[in-house]
Amino acid sequence: MSLQQTYFEIFGLKPAFAVDRAALANRYRELQREFHPDKYASRSDREQLLAMQYAAHINEAHTTLRDPVLRAGYLLKLAGVEVRPEQTTADVEFLMQQMLLRERLEEVPTETDPAAALEELGEEVQGLFSGEQRHFAEVFAAGDLAAAKDSLLKLQFLVKLQRQVEELEEDLLGDY
Amino acid sequence: MALLQISEPGQTPEPHQRKRAVGIDLGTTNSLVATVRSGSAEAIAAEDGSVILPSAVHYGENAVTVGAAARSRAGEDPYNTLLSVKRLMGRGIADVKSFGDQLPYKFAQDGSGDAADSGMPAIETVAGAVNPVQVSAEILKELARRGREALGGELDGAVITVPAYFDDAQRQATKDAAQLAGLKVLRLLNEPTAAAVAYGLDQSDESVDAADKIIAVYDLGGGTFDISILRLSRGVFEVLSTGGDTALGGDDFDCAIAGWMAGQAGLGTNLDVATQRALLNSACEAKESLSGQEQAALGYGDWSGTLDRSAMAELLDPLIDKTLRACKRALRDAELSVDDVQEVVLVGGSTRTLRVRERVAQFFGRAPHADIDPDQVVAIGAALQADVLVGNKSRDDLLLLDVIPLSLGIETMGGLAEKLIARNTTIPVSKAQEFTTFKDGQTAMAIHVVQGERELVKDCRSLARFELRGIPPMVAGAAHIRVTFQVDADGLLSVTAMEKSSGVSADISVKPSYGLQDKDIARMLQESYAHAQEDIAARALREAQLEAERALESLLAALQENGAELLDERELTALERAMEGLQLAHNGGDAEEIRKRIDALNQLSEPFAARRMDASIKRAMQGHTLDEFDND
Repeated sequence: MSLQQTYFEIFGLKPAFAVDRAALANRYRELQREFHPDKYASRSDREQLLAMQYAAHINEAHTTLRDPVLRAGYLLKLAGVEVRPEQTTADVEFLMQQMLLRERLEEVPTETDPAAALEELGEEVQGLFSGEQRHFAEVFAAGDLAAAKDSLLKLQFLVKLQRQVEELEEDLLGDY
Repeated sequence: MALLQISEPGQTPEPHQRKRAVGIDLGTTNSLVATVRSGSAEAIAAEDGSVILPSAVHYGENAVTVGAAARSRAGEDPYNTLLSVKRLMGRGIADVKSFGDQLPYKFAQDGSGDAADSGMPAIETVAGAVNPVQVSAEILKELARRGREALGGELDGAVITVPAYFDDAQRQATKDAAQLAGLKVLRLLNEPTAAAVAYGLDQSDESVDAADKIIAVYDLGGGTFDISILRLSRGVFEVLSTGGDTALGGDDFDCAIAGWMAGQAGLGTNLDVATQRALLNSACEAKESLSGQEQAALGYGDWSGTLDRSAMAELLDPLIDKTLRACKRALRDAELSVDDVQEVVLVGGSTRTLRVRERVAQFFGRAPHADIDPDQVVAIGAALQADVLVGNKSRDDLLLLDVIPLSLGIETMGGLAEKLIARNTTIPVSKAQEFTTFKDGQTAMAIHVVQGERELVKDCRSLARFELRGIPPMVAGAAHIRVTFQVDADGLLSVTAMEKSSGVSADISVKPSYGLQDKDIARMLQESYAHAQEDIAARALREAQLEAERALESLLAALQENGAELLDERELTALERAMEGLQLAHNGGDAEEIRKRIDALNQLSEPFAARRMDASIKRAMQGHTLDEFDND
C-alpha cells in the first residue's frame, strides 16, 4: 500500500461501480490489522505517527468505496471528471419529480397517518436511489462519462432527499 | 552482533519480559483498576479487599484523601469533599452554572487563576482552588498505586475508559489528568467498546473463528446513557455506530419516582433542597429494592405509601423509551435492523433495574448478557486492551476499530457549522479543507472548531479556536491554505495548516475552549510535587529513564526483527553508537542528558522507521493481486 495508490488498488478491487462488499470488509480488516496505531503502541513515536497516517488513509478509502455516492464521485475523479458542488443536473423532468417529492415530504406531518405516509415516501425514494445507482453503473461501464456525471448529480439529489426523510422520521419519533 | 548485547542484565528490561499494564474505569461515582494476570483479566483489590474506589476526593488542610474515606466526609464537610467530578471534566464555567444546585461546591467566581486561563471551573477548598482535572488525577494516582502494588513495580502503561459520547474536550481533560497522575496512557477507550471486549473475548474460542457477530452494548449509568453497535469478526471489534444521551441515567429514574412521591404526598412542586434530597434517597432505595421484591414501602414525613413494579414501570417507561429511540437511531446509523443483533450486553449500575432489562430484552428480542459484574466489565475490557497495547502478546488477534461519536465542524459565515468529519466515522481519520484569504495582504485567519450535530454553531460545543499566522501576503483569494484536521485513535483532534503555493506552514496557536494548555499542566505538575513533597528532580530522572528504556527496547526489538535487512553497515553502527550513548546516559542519572540522547536517537532512527513501515506495506500487499479480489 502507498498513499499514491488509488483506493481501488489499496483494496485490490477493480475500478468499477459494483463493489463486492464482503471482499471490501475483509480487506479492510486485514489492512487495519497491519496498520492500526494499536499495532504500533509500543513502537517509536515516528512509527506511531506513520501508522496513524496510514490508518487514516485506509479509513478514508474504505468510507469512500463503501458509500455509493462517494464511490461514484471518486470513479469520476479518477477518470478526470470534476464535479463542482454548485453544479446541478439539467434534466428538467428529474427536477420536477424532485420538487414533487419534496412537497410530499413537507406535507407528511399533516397527513392522517404521518408514519405510514413517510414510510411510503421513504420506499419510493429508496427505489429511485437504487435505480439511479444501476444507471450510473451501466453508463460508467460503457464509458459514457457525461451521462455518468449527470447520474452522479442525480444521486446527490436523491441521497439528500433520503437524509431529509430520515430526519423527519427522527422528528416524528420526538427526538432531539 | 554487538547490538544484541547492549542491554545489560537488570538495566533495561528484557524485550520478552511481561509488561505491567492496567485498565482503568474512571467513573462518575466509582472507579476501579484491572489487569491481566496468568491469562485472565481481573479487578485489582485494595489492601482491605475492596475493588471499587468511590470517585471521591477530600481536601483537608494538610492531606488529600481519596475513596471511601473521602466520601464519608461528604456530609460533615461538603465543600471540601468533591464527588462526581467526572461531570465537570472538559466543561466550561457556563455549563457548570447550568447544573444548578446539584453541585454544592464553591466555584471560583471571578475567573481568577485557572478559570481565567482556560474557561475551566475551579473549586475552592481549604487546600486552595482545584480544577476537575486535578481532582481526577488524585483518583488516578490512587488507582495507579494499587496497580503498582499488585504488579510489583512501575506501570508501563494504562488504558483509561471514557463514555463513548465524550467530546474532544472531555477526552483531553481525561488524558491531562492521567498525565498529572504520572500515567502513560496507551489509549483512551470507549466504555461500551471495553465492555464488548470483556464479553467477546470471555467467550469460548469457537466464537473467535465464527462468522461475524453483531453486538449491541447498552450502557446506562447514573447520569449518562451510551449505546454502541459493534461487529466482531475474528478478533476485530469494529464499532459501527454509537449514540446516547449525556443527561439521562438512573438519577432521572430517582427523580421520576421522587416526583411521584411528592404528588402522592401533596407536597407541591416548590420543594427545598433538604426535602428533595430526602425524597430522592427514598426513591432510590425503593427502586433498588424493587429489583428483588414485588413491592416497596416508602415514606416522607407523615405520608407513607407503596410502589409496586408495574407502577414503577409506568414512571420509568418514558425514560427507557428515550434510550430505545437512541438504540433505533444507532442501528440505522449502522445500516442494520434490530434482527441483525446477535448479542446484547448490559453495562452500568442502572441496568440492574428489572424494568430496563425487560424493555431491552423486548426491544432486541433476546435476553441480554449481564453475567460479568456491570460495575467491573468496563475495567476488565480495558485491562485486556492494555495487555495487548503494551506488547504482551497474549491476545495478538485483538483489534479495536472505534468511531468518533459527534461530528466535527468549523464555523462558517452566519454562525453556521459546516461538518468536516461526520459522526460514526472510524478513527483515526484526517480531513483536509482549503481556505482562502478575503483581503489583500491578509496574513492571519481564525478558525473556530465545533463538535455536534446541529446546524448552528451556538447549538454545538465549542472545541477550540485556531489562529493561522504567517500566511504570505498575497492578493485576496490567491493564498490557498490547506488545513488538515486529524483525529487520532484516542478520539483527540489536532490541526495542521499549510499555504499551498508557497509551501509555508502556517503557525497554529490552539486555544482550547474548556481545556488546559501545556503550560498549565506543567505548572500543576510542579504544584503537585510541592504538595506531595516529592523530589521533583528524582521524579524527572525516573521518568526520563523510563522513556529511555522504552525507546531502547522498541528500537532493539525493531533491529532484531529486520535491522539487518533494512540497514547498511554504516547506519547500523551509527544506531548502535547512539543506543550505547543513551544507555550510558540512562545509567549516569542526568535527566537532561537522557532527554537529549533520546531525541538524538529518535532522529537517527527515523529513516529506519520509515523503511520498516514500507516493509509492512509490502507484506500487507503480498499475495494480493487484482485478480484475487475479482468480482463480477
